[in-house]
Parts: sequence; structure tokens; C-alpha cells
Amino acid sequence: MSTILIIPMAILIIAGLVLLIWSFVEHIRCKGVYEEKHTGIAQSIFLIALFVSAGIVVYLALGKERSVTLFYLMNNIPIYFKIDEIGRWFVLIVTIVWLLVGIYSIRYLRHEGEQKRFLGFFLLVYSVLIGLDFSGNLVTMYLFYELMTLTSFPLVLHNGSKEAIMAALKYLFYSMAGAYMGLFGIFYLQHMMGDLTFVAGGAIGRAFFDENKALMLVAFFIMILGFAVKAGLCPLHAWLPTAHPVAPSPASAVLSGIIVKSGVLAIIRVIFYLIGPEMLRGTWVITVLLILSLVTVFMGSLLAFREPVLKKRLAYSTVSQVSYILFGIFLLTPKALTGALLQVAFHAIVKCGLFLVAGVFLYEHHVKRVDELVGIGRRIPVTLWSYTFLSLSLIGIPPMSGFVSKWFLAQGALVSGTGVFEIIGPIVLLVSALLTAGYLMPITMKGFFPGEEAASEKVKETSLWMLVPIVVLTVFAFVLGVFPNGLIDYADKIAALQW
Amino acid sequence: MNRIIMFAVILLPIIGGSLIPILPFKTRQRMMFYIEALCVINSVLVCSMLFYQPNEVFTLFRFSGDLSVTLHLDGPGKMFCALAAIMWPFAVLYSFEYMKHEEREKGFFMFYIITYGITLGVALSENILTMYFFFEMMSLVTLPLVMHTHTREAILASRTYLYFMLGGAAFAFIGMVFILSYGTTSSFLPGGIIDMAKLDGKTDMMLLVYVFSFFGFGIKTAIFPFGRWLPKASVAPTPVTALLHAVAVVNTGAFAVMRITYYSFGTNLLRGTWAQDVVMLFVIFTIVYGCSRAVKETHLKRRLAWSTVSNLSYILFGVVIMTPEGACGALCHMLFHSFMKITSFFCAGAIIYKTGKNYVHELNGFGKKMPKIFCIFTVSAMALMGVPGLAGFISKWSLVRAAFASENILAYVGVGALLVSALLTAIYMLTICVRAFFPGKEFDYSTISDVKDPNMLMIVPLCVFLAFVIYFGIHPQYVLTFLSGIDFV
Repeated sequence: MSTILIIPMAILIIAGLVLLIWSFVEHIRCKGVYEEKHTGIAQSIFLIALFVSAGIVVYLALGKERSVTLFYLMNNIPIYFKIDEIGRWFVLIVTIVWLLVGIYSIRYLRHEGEQKRFLGFFLLVYSVLIGLDFSGNLVTMYLFYELMTLTSFPLVLHNGSKEAIMAALKYLFYSMAGAYMGLFGIFYLQHMMGDLTFVAGGAIGRAFFDENKALMLVAFFIMILGFAVKAGLCPLHAWLPTAHPVAPSPASAVLSGIIVKSGVLAIIRVIFYLIGPEMLRGTWVITVLLILSLVTVFMGSLLAFREPVLKKRLAYSTVSQVSYILFGIFLLTPKALTGALLQVAFHAIVKCGLFLVAGVFLYEHHVKRVDELVGIGRRIPVTLWSYTFLSLSLIGIPPMSGFVSKWFLAQGALVSGTGVFEIIGPIVLLVSALLTAGYLMPITMKGFFPGEEAASEKVKETSLWMLVPIVVLTVFAFVLGVFPNGLIDYADKIAALQW
Repeated sequence: MNRIIMFAVILLPIIGGSLIPILPFKTRQRMMFYIEALCVINSVLVCSMLFYQPNEVFTLFRFSGDLSVTLHLDGPGKMFCALAAIMWPFAVLYSFEYMKHEEREKGFFMFYIITYGITLGVALSENILTMYFFFEMMSLVTLPLVMHTHTREAILASRTYLYFMLGGAAFAFIGMVFILSYGTTSSFLPGGIIDMAKLDGKTDMMLLVYVFSFFGFGIKTAIFPFGRWLPKASVAPTPVTALLHAVAVVNTGAFAVMRITYYSFGTNLLRGTWAQDVVMLFVIFTIVYGCSRAVKETHLKRRLAWSTVSNLSYILFGVVIMTPEGACGALCHMLFHSFMKITSFFCAGAIIYKTGKNYVHELNGFGKKMPKIFCIFTVSAMALMGVPGLAGFISKWSLVRAAFASENILAYVGVGALLVSALLTAIYMLTICVRAFFPGKEFDYSTISDVKDPNMLMIVPLCVFLAFVIYFGIHPQYVLTFLSGIDFV
């Protein structure tokens, strides 16, 4: 029993609730036009809670294995947390992103208003994500999965426009539908297995599996598809391009960077920690999922390519890039899983950075559409350089980090023994990389080379609160691309646990 | 003389309630005190009855031979009694505030209290005749409550109510007659009482009778195609809709169906037959149908009523799985749903009482003006959706576990229906919350500046019910252990 596991979550929940209740009370008390007061104090509470709990989380993630049972939901179903390898991996990514986006949103939210509400929910979502990453069994994970949806949709509807509310509801109902599909599988697995504790490599016996194969595969399929709603697998991706453009940029950043990855984590948990990869190899489930993921990779890039609104373009790009991860998972080989895990990390960092840059465009220059970005590089060169490097990483050009993960994914595909996917996989990845270049690079080019008629403008970078997180993310994307060995070893270690 | 207490808890509210219009109360306070005292005393009596657990039967009177009005306390009865005993005192407290400005208050409280006794009567029935008797009484006593406002709409609704109830009773009567003539005894016994020797060759007829009586008793649970009366009856004052049409009356229906399925016909006879398939199909359809209508409905109380239709079919779903686990899940959902739904109905009532707003689209921005009510409403919405950590998840979990364990392919479909319905529940409940808390940027709060939270008489019962919802969600062991100890077969 290590109760220290719950401390960061408790800190975050308390701080988050304090901010929310404070904001709520202010609203109730206010007569006439609402004006936010004492934002400085609110921001300090936010930053202190964020940094303290992030510190504890890092300490926990780098420390020894711990586990704690909070209480029993039913006789054999505990709410149970355990730090394991994959949990460490995800929670560290979450923490890095959360710290940087947290710093960024302090300044950014001045422009959106309602800071306390946003920051409050931001802390709550962090707390829920820690719980999700440290979950030791499927029911605990499901609990946090639902809570994640419920706490993150207020981030999407933050600006309160009709459009934002509709988008948030769409996000909510898509996620709910996915969660309930997942729940069906959970019910079924609980019935079949009795114990839903995560075990690396899966817990179903081969003989038992063969006996109930037909029905089990259907249940798994529904379950994986359900969790894939969050990960934006086609045809269930429609919420992403709706929710991202209307959410405040820090919210889109974490939505794309982290929350989408929670769907990935859930799928990894189901396939590798409950079912076992060997059970699924060669079944129709995997074939269908592989096809869907490749279709999504291609289709996402294509849709991004012809999308004029920058944040929507980035959302489609997320659809495509996250399906790289799913493709890697569904290949069921250690190498591809390594690639998928690396892609989780790199895409989180890169996409987060890109959304923060898009936020700068919006915040400083009120520019939404790509074709309005002409000549922007003259005004904010550092931001646009960061954007360029991040884009290069997303495309997968060495030495940026995205190259490493795609290399592993392609290699994994080639040795996977999945027949036709061995060839088609890498080809689709390549085509998609081309398309990625096609939809990201024009912004750099137009931004720096607007043509001769453009008037020269003064350099005026955005505030350091916003610039520093972007630069730090860019540096991460670069450094991790040049020195990826530590990460690769660790991802390899996780992958090796499963076979 | 323990067994007298069973009779006392039924009689006390009936007599005490009937006295309300006669007694000369000087002030409203005194009447409130009298009514509340009556409920509390009766609940204390119920508690002591549950504590002493009288094992004997108590025969009130005997018509001839086996036919008698007899009381007995057994497992499902205990649960139902406890439910009523918790609900009534708090619901009455709430009604004091709600009925403050309504006319004919005394008549309202008279019938409201009498229903308490009759609900306990259904719970304590030892045989089908007794249950049928109280079942009928229930319809008649609640009828005046439905038409309480005496508006045209209320009278039409009460007419529908009456027709449906009488029709149901007629079908139920058929079932009763057959049970009495083919049963070895008239009592409720775990595993059923049908005499297989007498039945020789007439099994199909008996199954048909089961289907009839299922729908007969099931009309009170608003099963499709007989569900129309429930949303219509929501013209009644909210305490009635909340306590009677979400808890007492409708649970009586589910309870009666459970009684005849497990204790009269017996699952041995029914399980795996076409009769089970037929009723299960209707139940599954009602689960989805009720939710879909709720999504479509814009009148707040009617929306909740449609949601009740769907949730009652969850209970029936558990019943028609026809395994002990299924019955456990059914009783569990009966208990938990009562708390969840009465909470959301009381919230709706508080809104109507304070503002007179009836429609969902009129609730924009209310979250900031009625923070307590809407926070409570949101939690109850999440409980109904089945978010883990709240009561709804536990009961759904036990229902689904029973469905999977029964190895019945239709039950698998039922699980799918439960999940579809959970999604629809999220849609019709959360849209209300989102509207209330996030009315949009342009929303002008000055248009609803006079909206306020109600006083403690309304808030306290809500908090109590909410506490139960949360408690059952986190610590359901006690209830689950109790339910799994009940003898069903």
C-alpha cells in the first residue's frame, strides 16, 4: 500500500475544485456584467498545484513499483492503482505536456476570459489522466476514462458560443458512445475472466480462448472500436475536426496531444494487458482494424491537405497521425509496438507544439485560415521557426524525432508477417508523409516568403509565457530525434514485456 | 405478537391518512407536524419490523379454503419496505413546501399517506390474492392524485390512467385465476407453486397466461405498448410524479411481475420457453423506446417520465432473465433507480415550483441561479448514465452480469440495449445540464434574475437522496450481499 500514489491526484482535485467553486460563486454573486477578479491569486494556486503534483508524479514515475487499492466497488472489483512500465511512459508524457501547456494557458486565457473555470478544469483533467495512467485494472481505467470525458468537455465549450457548445456536445456524445462500447467489452470480459487486473502479455489462456473464440472476438472488436473513438479511428473520427477549432488553443493542444492518446492507452491495455497479442494474431478483428487504421492514416492526411482552417487542418492531421500509432499496435510485433510508443511520445510533443503555435496566430493576429498567414514569419520569426521544426518532425524528416518512430513503424510492418499489410503499410505511411509535408510546409513558405509586394513589418514576438513552452517543445522534438536511444530502449523494454 | 406489526404498518397510514380531512387543524404547521409524525412513526415501525423479522404469517381474513388475505415478510418484501420507509418521510417534507400554494392540500396528503400503507401492503403480501387486492387499491388511491389540479389535461390524464390500470388489472386477474386453479397452494413460494401434474399437456396455455399476466401487472411499469399513461400522468404535482410514478406505483408493478415470475409460475416452468422470449423482446424494446422518446421530449417532467419507462424495463429485464442473479439485479436496480429518479424528479419539481418553467429549452442559464439544485441534478444525471462510483453503475453491472451468466442469446441483445440506452440517457440528461451551466456567451442573465434555489425543506430531502445515491455507488456490498441471500428458486 502506498497512499502517496493518490496524493498528486488529491492535490489537483482540491485545487481544481477550489478554482471552479470560486469561479462559480463569483458568477452567482455578480450583478450585471461579469468581471473576473483576483486572477493573479487563481493563477498562483494553479501553478503551485500543477508544479507540486507534477513533481510528485515524476518522482513516482521514476521510482519503484507501487500499488494501492482505494476501495472495493463490488466484491471482486477494486479501484486499484499500480505503477507499471506503460503507465510511467504515458504519465511522463502527460506531465511534460501539462506543465508546458499550463504555463502557456495562463497568458492565453486572458484573451478568452473565464480563467478560473478553464484552469480549474485543466487541473481536474490532469488529475483524471494520472488516475487513468496508473490504473491497475480495467474497471478503474474505465472510471477515469468516463471522468476524462466529463471533465474535458467544458474545456471545449469554453468560449460559450453556440458553435462551441454544439461541438462540445458532439465530443461528449461520441466519447460516451465509445465508452459504452468499451463497457460492453468490459462486462463481457468480467464475465469470462472474472479478474480484470492488467497483466503484461495478457491473461487469457489459449485453450479457454479457443473455446469461446467467435463471441469473444466480437466482444473484443466492439471494445477496441469503442476505445478507438477517442483515438479518432475512421469512421468514428468526426468529433475531432469539430471540437478542435472551437476549443481554446491550449485545450485543443491537450485534446490532440494527450486525450486522444488515452484512447490509445486503453487499446494497448486491452490488447496487451488483458487479451494478449498472440490471441488476436491472424484473426478477422486485427485484419479489419489494420484496414481501418490505414484508411484513417491516408484519409486524415488527405482531408488535412484540403482544409483551409489551420486548427481544423491540424485536427485532421491528428486523425491521421494517431492512426499511425494504432497501426503500429495492431501489427502485433515488438518492433511496431516500440514504434507506436515512440509515436505516442513524439506526436504528443509535436502536435501540442503546433496547436500552441496556432494559438499564437489566433491570439496575436486573429488569423484562423491558412491563406491569411502570408508574411507572418516577418513578425514572429521564432514562433514560425518553431513551427517549421515541429512540422519537419511530424513529417518524419531526420534528425527530427518523428523520423525515429516512423522508422520503427515501417520496420515493424515489414517483419510483421501480416501478408499484404507488410507492403501496403509502409507505402501508406510514405504517401501520408508526403501529404503531411504538403499541408504543413506551405505555411512556412508563405510565412517567410510572402512575395515581393508584401510590406516589411517589425519583429514583435508574443509574450514569453507563450513563447517559451513552444520553444521548449521544439527543443524536445529535436533533442529526442538526435538522441533517441534512451527512449527506444525503454520502449523496447515495454514491448518486450508483452511477448 | 411480532406479526401484528405487519398489519399495523399498513393500517396506520391508511387510517391516519383518512383522518387528515376530518381532523380540525388550527394552523398549517400543526397539520404538517401531524403528517410528518405519522410518516416517521410508521417508518420507525417498519424499521423495527425489519429488525425483528417476524417469521410467521398473519392472516387478516379468510374467504374460503386457500383464499385469504395474508401478510408475510420475506426477502424482496424487506427491501421494498425499507425503500418505502426511507422515501416517504423525506418526500412528505418536500411536499410541504411544494404544495404550499396549491389547493385541496388536505385531500392530497390524505391519498399521499394512504398510498404509503398500500405500498407496504404490496410488499408484505403473502399470496397472490392479497397482492392483487393491494395492487387494485393502489390504482384507485393514486387516481385522485393524478387529477389533483383538476385541469382539463389532468382529468384526461387521469382517465387514461384509470383505463390502463383497469385493463391491466383485468389481465392480471386472468393470471391470478389460473395460478389459483393450477397451483398447489396460493402462497408465494420460491421456485413457483404450479402443480406440474395438473398442468400435463397444457404448458403452452399456461405460458400464454403468464404472458397475459406479465403485461397485466406490467402495465404499472409502463411496458411497451402500454407505456403511454406514465408520461401523461406527469401532469400531477411533482411529489406524486416523483414518489409514486417513479418509485412506489411503478415499482409495485415490477415487484408484482417479479412475484409472479419467481414465486408463482416459477422459473423452472418459464425459463427457455417462448414466453420468456416474448416478454424479453418487449422489455428490450421498451428500454430503447423509452429512452428515445425521452430524447425527443422537451417537457422536463415528461422527459424524466419517459426515462422512468426505460429504467423500469431495466428492472423487468433483470426479472425476465429468470435466474436468481437476474432477480438480484432487478431488485438492485429497483432500489437504486428509485433514489436516482426521485432525486432528479425533485430537482425538476423545485424548478417548476420556483419558476413555473416546464420545458427544457427554458432552463438556459439556470445553473448559476439555482446552483444547489443543478449540482444535485447533474450528479443524479451521471448516476442514471451509469458513471462508476455512483449507484447506477452498480445496478447495471449486476444486471449485465446476470444477463451474461444466463447464456441466453436474447439477454446479450439486452446488454446492447442497456448500453444504447445509457448513451441516450447521457444525451437527454446532459443536454439539460449543459444548457443550465453553459447558456452561451450572449445569454442575458437579467432575464432570469428572480430565479433562486428553494429553501431547506426541498434541499434537505434532495441531499439525503443524493447521499444514498453516492453511498450505494461506493459501498454497495451491504445491499448486494443482502440481495444475493434472498431465496428465489
